[in-house]
Amino acid sequence: MSTMFADTILIVFISICTALLAEGITWVLVYRTDKYKRLKAEVEKQSKKLEKKKETITESAGRQQKKKIGEIIKMIFVRMKSMFAIGFCFTALMGMFNSIFDGRVVAKLPFVPLSYIQGLSHRNLLGEDYTDCSFIFLYILCTMSIRQNIQKMLGLAPSRAATKQAGGFLGPPPQAAKFS
Amino acid sequence: MTSSWKRKEEVHAVNGGLKQSTWSKAISCKAVWGEKDEFLDVVYWFRQIIAIILGVIWGVAPLKGFLGIAIFCVINAGVLYLYFSSFQQVDEEEYGGTWELTKEGFMTSFALFLVVWIIFYTALHYD
Repeated sequence: MSTMFADTILIVFISICTALLAEGITWVLVYRTDKYKRLKAEVEKQSKKLEKKKETITESAGRQQKKKIGEIIKMIFVRMKSMFAIGFCFTALMGMFNSIFDGRVVAKLPFVPLSYIQGLSHRNLLGEDYTDCSFIFLYILCTMSIRQNIQKMLGLAPSRAATKQAGGFLGPPPQAAKFS
Repeated sequence: MTSSWKRKEEVHAVNGGLKQSTWSKAISCKAVWGEKDEFLDVVYWFRQIIAIILGVIWGVAPLKGFLGIAIFCVINAGVLYLYFSSFQQVDEEEYGGTWELTKEGFMTSFALFLVVWIIFYTALHYD
């Protein structure tokens, strides 16, 4: 096995380990706490009630929607604790891996990335061959694919309602405007 | 008489009724989906499976360039569209429309496809 392919497999393995580590930290700090379990159960209960009332825009459905949004926001804040801890650990880990893999071509891309992505995919690599892949690009792709799948497999993924609400933080959440 | 294979797929619910397992519903035509999240999870995992299969094929062939990415997107979206509109015949409006079903798990499957494609391409054509 050549060095480059060994690096490719090693980075996938590192990504799996860091995803499991992140979920482990989140489990210790968040998932196993009674507060989080209670909030999650409440969000699911409210979601089911709203499902039953889905077509009827009534005042009680509006109140229910607001209550659900409130619980989801609390869940997001509870998770923030673990996000800070993970961010801190991973900054240190990334510094270490970056120095280990600095200047190394870890894989060959079967395509030439768009110019604004080349800054990431060809980071700290010599030469003009943009099919050379740097550590950080492969690591980001692995994390994007592996982490969410691990969360779903372990049953730790945030509910779709919570994910939509978190996305709606910058603007009105999907259904809330109807009931305000 | 119910075969032993079918019996394994069926789980007795608390009220004495029979409840099909998720995967047996996923491969049955026009299955009844009690919970929306259950069907969305099926769509999500089918997307990941397609991503792995296409990543392997593209890496082995090899198929290179943005053509490979474009064909992946078309196949991924197209196959799942046929699955939920023709095979399962779900009411797309219940799930927020065709776009919501198309988006479900798409980015994760795209990243997974790229990783598998890169691994197989590097291993088979650049060593």
